[in-house]
Amino acid sequence: MSGLGYTVPAVLAALAVGALELTALRTGLFRRPSYWLSMLIVVGFQILVDGWLTKLSAPVVVYDDRQTIGVRFPFDIPVEDFLFGFALVTAVLLLWERQRERR
Amino acid sequence: MDRWQYLLVLVACLAITLPLELFRPGVYRHAWRAMRAVLPVAAVFVLWDEVAIHAHIWTYNPAFITGVTIPFQMPIEEVLFFLVIPLCALLTYNAVSAILERINRR
Repeated sequence: MSGLGYTVPAVLAALAVGALELTALRTGLFRRPSYWLSMLIVVGFQILVDGWLTKLSAPVVVYDDRQTIGVRFPFDIPVEDFLFGFALVTAVLLLWERQRERR
Repeated sequence: MDRWQYLLVLVACLAITLPLELFRPGVYRHAWRAMRAVLPVAAVFVLWDEVAIHAHIWTYNPAFITGVTIPFQMPIEEVLFFLVIPLCALLTYNAVSAILERINRR
């Protein structure tokens, strides 16, 4: 841990996506139970897929531990990955929802 | 065979979520809407990924990727990741929304 080159952008990305919805897009996605239930399912599968990709015994993706806070859970997943995943998936769902409103 | 590992994980994700397309309104059936949701976000994340790879924040184990890259250093699998995972998420959201609507209508 020194640079936090992954932690800082991951936190910023998650905050940016939240701010995008609350200030600009206002799709109402965060008020939909189907969004939160979907995110729960997505995180469940993320643990399986990401767990496979980041396992320290035979990693597909190799992280510089100095760029993270060093917490890897569950399995060997850097916790930053969950912010990364939240930002990625939520941003896509927001753009999907925004097109519903335009119809 | 190991070199196909990352790619096969992505194929498995697409295969597992494919049946969710049966729920209405569907995702693949609305390809233009899906592309307009997935591509702008993928562009931003590909950029982030490129910077992270250059800064050595993360790298990819050459044992488990095909070795095909796009400019500048990104494995093709990582580009596909930003298309596949959002599609899986959209399919999940599509199915969950359809199921909840069905329950609420009762």
